[in-house]
Amino acid sequence: MSTMSRFASVAAAAALTVAFAAAPALAYDGTNCKEPGVCWEPKPNYPAKDKITGSKYDPKHDPKQVVKQADSIKDMEARNKKRSDNFAKTGKFEYDVSKIAN
Amino acid sequence: MMTFRTTVSAFTLTAAAAIGVAGAALPAFANDKLVELSNSEENWPMTGKTYKAQNYSKAKQINVENVKDLKPAWAFSTGVLHGHEGTPLVIGDKMYVHGAFPNPTFALDLNEPGKILWQHKPKQAPTARAVACCDVVNRGLAYWPGEGKTPALILKTQLDGHIVALNAETGEEFWKMENSDIKVGSTLTIAPYVVKDVVLVGSSGAELGVRGYVTAYDVKTGAQKWRAYATGPDEDIKLAKDFNLANPHYGQKGLGTNKTWEGDAWKIGGGTNWGWYAFDPDTNLFYYGSGNPAPWNETMRPGDNKWTMTIWGRDIDTGEAKFGYQKTPHDEWDYAGVNVMMLSEQKDKTGKLRKLLTHPDRNGIVYTLDRTDGTLVSADKLDDTVNWVKQVDLKTGIPIRDPEFATRMDHKATEICPSAMGYHNQGHDSYDPEKQRFFMGINHICMDWEPFMLPYRAGQFFVGATLWMYPGPKGDRQNFEGLGQIKSYDAINNKYDWEKMERFAVWGGTLATAGDLVFYGTLDGFLKARNSKTGDLVWKYRLPSGVIGHPMTYTHKGTQYVAIYYGVGGWPGVGLVFDLNDPTAGLGAVGAFKNLANYTQMGGGVQVFSLNGKNPYDDVNVGEWTGKQGG
Repeated sequence: MSTMSRFASVAAAAALTVAFAAAPALAYDGTNCKEPGVCWEPKPNYPAKDKITGSKYDPKHDPKQVVKQADSIKDMEARNKKRSDNFAKTGKFEYDVSKIAN
Repeated sequence: MMTFRTTVSAFTLTAAAAIGVAGAALPAFANDKLVELSNSEENWPMTGKTYKAQNYSKAKQINVENVKDLKPAWAFSTGVLHGHEGTPLVIGDKMYVHGAFPNPTFALDLNEPGKILWQHKPKQAPTARAVACCDVVNRGLAYWPGEGKTPALILKTQLDGHIVALNAETGEEFWKMENSDIKVGSTLTIAPYVVKDVVLVGSSGAELGVRGYVTAYDVKTGAQKWRAYATGPDEDIKLAKDFNLANPHYGQKGLGTNKTWEGDAWKIGGGTNWGWYAFDPDTNLFYYGSGNPAPWNETMRPGDNKWTMTIWGRDIDTGEAKFGYQKTPHDEWDYAGVNVMMLSEQKDKTGKLRKLLTHPDRNGIVYTLDRTDGTLVSADKLDDTVNWVKQVDLKTGIPIRDPEFATRMDHKATEICPSAMGYHNQGHDSYDPEKQRFFMGINHICMDWEPFMLPYRAGQFFVGATLWMYPGPKGDRQNFEGLGQIKSYDAINNKYDWEKMERFAVWGGTLATAGDLVFYGTLDGFLKARNSKTGDLVWKYRLPSGVIGHPMTYTHKGTQYVAIYYGVGGWPGVGLVFDLNDPTAGLGAVGAFKNLANYTQMGGGVQVFSLNGKNPYDDVNVGEWTGKQGG
């Protein structure tokens, strides 16, 4: 870090301290909490949490993509249950669920 | 709160006394048998050696006086290249060795280590490799001692998402379950962990937007007992009724969804756990950390993103969380909070004996918590060059961020320390309970970081940041060396007794012994020993390849051995193993470690040492072919 930028950061920190005493934080430093465990703030000139949709930073998540993990886990859990139930019943482990009688 | 604590500690003492007596008489559960095994210097039956995960051995046949006579005894190649993380297990006369993808497992006979007793070589879809973020590593095996009709088992994870139980005597598959689906980018690199009659399995894939979860399986049948997520509704996260009761300011109910996330972003929010576990039979809690939120682009996920980046204390029987402390709210640097948890009992500054948990995090802070209720005891910088945070306020638990080193869209942040690789990564460190010191393998890497927008597509990478990484201020930025440190840390007095620089990051962790030694492997291909009191380098040996696992030690037939995997790889090795040159490739690691290939090449195996190389083949006839039987 150059001397200049170090000086700048010290000056910024000093400015922040003053700002804190008077008004809400100018930049997100994590200390300004809405409730316990909820301390996020938008950075200066960035959208608030409920304003990101429609902003230029909108992640535009496709619900069909987002649900794929939960569906996959549900299917794996169902197959595993067949395997472990069958193992408990027969004493013989079978991985291939198509070979397990219902 | 005082009354509550007193009750807990009184109960703890009674429970400990009861366990002591029971252990001496006859072990009631397989769990107790594992405790008994782990207390013997002849075994190394789990990651971290004992449930305290101290990587500490009372053995002192090899000590600071005679370590100069440490010589190779025997070696074994796993037959696969790529990063060899973790450490072998030793139980009785057998050593169990694991390898990188396709995750072979070998059982070796310690009386004749040239003999492979059995081997398990799974067939896996090669596409699993394509969704591994950081080399095709695996962190180890677990052992369950057997009970009744169920034989002793070796538990293993596979990159393709399976958890498999093998008969420890024969290597035959006992059961095999699907834990993670590579089609959605979810893989397994974590070592399984056995507590009582359950096996814990973590998760990987936050770089592909995988929402993290930890699962407990009945070790005898493979039946799922419970599954707890890192993000989402409280019932998915499995919060106990009294979650964070001792520290309500950490946050309690209802924070896994829209209070700390925007919309459905928590469904692809990361928080996977691929690090290490520890367990305390007195609290019945196991301890681990959840990883980073997804994507790395912070602007796409406003909010604290709970409960990623959290130190958890969960009940082993129910999976319910008794406490959760979020170290890095709204991560902006990929400080995946999965690192090692080491348990100790030490007197705090007021002289009160406390049950503690110490955890050196990626974010450059080493946290010490009361492991009965999650109360913060100390939070010190791993190095004074950490700059994203000014300090951690012990009263509020809040890291006071320095906005100058934040990351955000349309901005290239520079000179952030630590880098995404952290000042500490997956290495499993050690704690010497006699000296009350932690010996930590540390990274000294900083970075520039610029995020970019990207869509989420299940099964594809979901990172959204370009990184440039380089040595920290104490390293040599012209020659890209001086990327690591090793230190002796006192968690109570918040000080380092000694600190030493290393050419490369000390990625694999450390082992401490009562012989006043700290052992660790280096990326440039050495096993080293330092005097644990002074940090002086007292011995080293040149291995075939760099090290990313941790050393272990065991005593067999009266001889103490030290063993370590060699085989460079992991995140620091991606440039070398995948032959990459763009400094921003490999999530930015290629540039930082561009010099590594001048010191090592790929490998894969275990190297075992003893004083003067004493080993079963000192009798040259051992293991010789003696002709056809009966012929």
